[in-house]
Amino acid sequence: MRNTMFNVLHPAPAVFAPRVGMFVLPGRKPVHTPHYLSLTSRGAVPHLTQDVMRDYTSIDSLYIALEDFIEKAPDDVPPLYKMQAEAHESTLRKFTCLPEDILLVMGPRRVPPVFTPMPNTGTAISILTSVGFRKLEAEDYIEAVRKVRPDIVVGLADLVVGLQSGIKRREKMVDRTHAYTRDATKQLYGDVGEPESESSAVYFAPVLPLENTQQMLYLDDLGDELREHISGLAVYEASSLAIVPDKIGCLPRLTLSGPKTPHEILREISLGADLITIPFVGMASDGGIALDFIFAPPLEDGSSASKPLGIDMWSPIYAADLSPLVQGCECYTCTKHHRAYIQHLLSAKEMLAWTLLQIHNHHTIDCFFAAVRDSIEAGTFTEGFLAFEQTYQPSLPQQTGQGPRRRGYHAQASGPGEPKLNSSSYDQLDDAAEKYAEAQSFVPTPDVSAEELQISGFAVKDT
Amino acid sequence: MAAKMSVAARKQMPSALTFDLLAKCSQTLLTVQVTKARASTLHLPHGSVPLPIFMPVATQASLKGLTPEQLAQIGCKLCLNNTYHLGLKPGQAVLEQVGGAHRLQGWDKNILTDSGGFQMVSLLKLANVTEEGVRFLSPHDGTPMLLTPEHSISLQNSIGSDIIMQLDDVIVTTSPDRERMKQAMERSIRWLDRCIDAHKYPERQNLFCIIQGGLDLDLRRKCSVEMAARDTPGIAIGGLSGGEAKDEFCKVSVIPTSMVDTCTGLLPENKPRYIMGVGYPEDIVVSVALGADMFDCVWPTRTARFGNAITPSGTVNLRHATYADDFSPIVDGCTCICCRPIQQGGLGITRAYIYHLAAKETVGAHLLTMHNVHYLLSLMDSIRAAILEDRYPAFVRDFFNRLYGSASKIPIWVVNALNGVGIDLLAE
Repeated sequence: MRNTMFNVLHPAPAVFAPRVGMFVLPGRKPVHTPHYLSLTSRGAVPHLTQDVMRDYTSIDSLYIALEDFIEKAPDDVPPLYKMQAEAHESTLRKFTCLPEDILLVMGPRRVPPVFTPMPNTGTAISILTSVGFRKLEAEDYIEAVRKVRPDIVVGLADLVVGLQSGIKRREKMVDRTHAYTRDATKQLYGDVGEPESESSAVYFAPVLPLENTQQMLYLDDLGDELREHISGLAVYEASSLAIVPDKIGCLPRLTLSGPKTPHEILREISLGADLITIPFVGMASDGGIALDFIFAPPLEDGSSASKPLGIDMWSPIYAADLSPLVQGCECYTCTKHHRAYIQHLLSAKEMLAWTLLQIHNHHTIDCFFAAVRDSIEAGTFTEGFLAFEQTYQPSLPQQTGQGPRRRGYHAQASGPGEPKLNSSSYDQLDDAAEKYAEAQSFVPTPDVSAEELQISGFAVKDT
Repeated sequence: MAAKMSVAARKQMPSALTFDLLAKCSQTLLTVQVTKARASTLHLPHGSVPLPIFMPVATQASLKGLTPEQLAQIGCKLCLNNTYHLGLKPGQAVLEQVGGAHRLQGWDKNILTDSGGFQMVSLLKLANVTEEGVRFLSPHDGTPMLLTPEHSISLQNSIGSDIIMQLDDVIVTTSPDRERMKQAMERSIRWLDRCIDAHKYPERQNLFCIIQGGLDLDLRRKCSVEMAARDTPGIAIGGLSGGEAKDEFCKVSVIPTSMVDTCTGLLPENKPRYIMGVGYPEDIVVSVALGADMFDCVWPTRTARFGNAITPSGTVNLRHATYADDFSPIVDGCTCICCRPIQQGGLGITRAYIYHLAAKETVGAHLLTMHNVHYLLSLMDSIRAAILEDRYPAFVRDFFNRLYGSASKIPIWVVNALNGVGIDLLAE
C-alpha cells in the first residue's frame, strides 16, 4: 500500500465536527480538506478539455466510475485494460490523458448511480454501461483496480439504488459489503510475498447508509482487523458520518451522497466530511445556471433566505447585459466574457455555453470550499453556516432551458413508461436522413414573429 | 430598377485593408506554364493575416465548443461568422447594444461574415429571389418577408466584421438554365452597387464582391470584369460550394477548376481572392495553384463532431471499432495540442480516448475540432512556406502522393487542373 498521509489539522480527529485536514499522496498535489472531487463522465470532466481544465480551473482531484469504461466486459476485454503502462504509471490516468499531479479516485459506479432493474447478487453488483445493464463481479473489480491503478479506490458496497431496502435485504447488504472489503483488502495488500505485487491504490472502505446497530460488526472489523489496509471511508449518506467509530475517526471521509444544495454540503462538512462529490455543479452548468453564492455571506438585518443560489442564464433579460456572470468573480468566464454571450450561446445551443458555465461553477465551488476551510480554522464555521441558511434560498433555481443531449448513462431512471430523455429530432434512420437532420440542426429558425423580425431589422414584411 | 450606373457615378470605395504580395511561383526551365500560387500578407483592422488562408467557421459566434483563446492558440487569425444566424440570434438590436460580434464573442482578431443570402436560399423553403431581394416566408408564422442587399449590409455593419460580403443572387451552380444563370450574374452586379451604396463603414469594414455565373465561362468572364471595375477591397468567387452539389462536380469534373482559373486570370493582382465554401484539403491545394488566396468551409469542424480526424492520408473515422484500443496519437508527429505528447506540452490524446468519447461526451468533439482546425491551418502554413521558397509544385506533388498513396490513384480532375498550371502529377 502506498504511503498516504492524512492529517487532521483542526480540531481533534475523533470529534464529529467540521474539521480541516490535508490529504497527501506521493506525486499528487496535496488536497486541503474539506474539498470536493470533480465528477467525470467517461473519464472527462463534462465540457472541459484537458487544456481548459489546466488553464482555467483549479481542479486537482477527480472521481471516475469504472462502469464508464467496461462496456462489454467480461466478454470483450475493455480497451482500458489493454493499455500498456510503466510500473509506476496508472493506466487509468494514461487512458484518460489526465495530468500526473491530479488525484484520481475510482469507484465502481457513477455519482449518482442510475437505478438498475436487476438486483445485485451475492458476488456482483448491477451496473450500467453505455451499452446497457451488466454485472460487475467483485473479483473483476479487484482485478480492475490492479490493472488500472487509480490513486484511491472506493471499495465495492452492496447498495440498493432508488428503492427502500427491507430488513432482510439490509442484513445481506452488510454481510456482502463486509465480505467484499475483507476479500479486496486481502487480495490487494494482504498475504503479500513480494511488495511489488501490492496494489498502489489506497482503499476507501464503504460505510453503508444504514443504522449503526445494523452494521456494527462490519464497522468494528474496519477499526480492528482491516484497519491497517484501509486509508479512508466512503459514505453514502450524511448521517453515516455520525456513526464512524472512534478507532477510524482519523481516516479521511469521502461522501457519495449527492448533495442537492450548498446547504447539504455544509451539513456534511459540519458532520466531519473531508472529500465531497457534488453532482449539482455539472447539472447547473448543463441547465444554463451560473452558481452565485459565497461562504459566509455577510449577515444583513431582516435576511429571509431569499437570495437565489444561481442565475438562470437562459433568461432573455441578459441578452445585452455586458456584466460578468457574477460581479467581482475572478474566473475565466467572468473576466473574459459577459452575460450576453452566455445567454446567446445557450439560446443558440452552442456547446461553448456549457464549457464557460462549467468553468465558472467550478470556480464558485472552489471559493466556497476555501472559505469554509478558513472559517473552520477561525472557529466561525457554525455562524457562517447559520448566515448561509438565513441568506440563501433552500434550493437551486429551476432550469428553464434545454441542456445538452442526455445519454442513457446520465439518466435517473424513474421506472417503466418514463418519458424519452431527448425529444426526437428526426424519425428516419437512414444515413441520408441523418445527414440532413444534422445539416438542419445548424439552421436556427426565428423564434419571433415577422413583426419582431421587421423591428429588429432582419428583414421587412413583404407587402 | 437597378439600371447600370456608369463607373464615374459610382460611390468611391475606400479600403480598410492593405494587401502585400510577397511571392509568386516562378518559371523553371522545364515548364512553359507556372502555377498562379501566391503568398501574401493581408493587413486587416484586427491584425495581419498570412495568405493563403483557411478560415474556420464559427457560425453562431463560437467555434463549436472552443474558447476564443483555444482558437487563437491553434493559430487562427481570421474566422467566419454567419450573418443569417447572427441576424436571428442574438439579432441586430442586441448586436448594436453589445457593440458588434468581436465584443460579443471575446475575439480580438478578424472576422469575416457572409451576406446571409446563401443560407436564406439553401436552407429556407419557399425562398424566392426577385430584383428587390430575397423573398421568403417567415418560418415562425408564414408571413411573407423580404431581405434586401441593404438589409444584409446593415446587419453586417452592426456585426462589425472586418470583411463583409455583398448579397448575391445564389442559384445552384449546376443549374442548366442559362437564362436564369445570366440573370443571377447580372443581378449580383446590380446588387453589388446597392451594397456599396448602403455600406456605412467602408473605412473599417472591407466589402468583397462575389463573382457569379455558374459553370459558364463567358458569364464568369463578364462578371469578373464588371466587378473588378467596382474596385472593392477584395474579390470572392461564389457558387462553388452548393453544399451537396460540391461533391458532384468538384470531385469529378474539371469545369470549376477551369472556372477558377478563368476568374483569377481576369482579376487584379493586388487584391485578395476568396473562394467561398471551399473546402477539402485537396480543393485548397489545387485552388491555390490556380491563384486563390482565401478559403472557408464547415467541413473540418462538422466532420470532427462525427468522430472524423483529418490526416495527411485522408480522414479517419475514430468511431470505428478498430480504433478502440489504438493508443497512438490521432496523427503521428502532428504538432497540434491534442497530438503532442504531455512531455512536449501537449495533451497526449490517443485515438482510443477519442473513440471512448466520440458521440458521447462533448469533450471528444472539442478535441477533434482542435485537431482538425489545426490540421487545416498548418496545411496553409506549409503551402505558404512552399510558395515563399518557390517550391510549390514539389509541395503539391508530395501532398497528393501522400493523400492518395500513389500517383495513379490521384483523381483525374486534380491531374487535369494542375496540368493546366504546369504541374504534371503523373510525371516520373
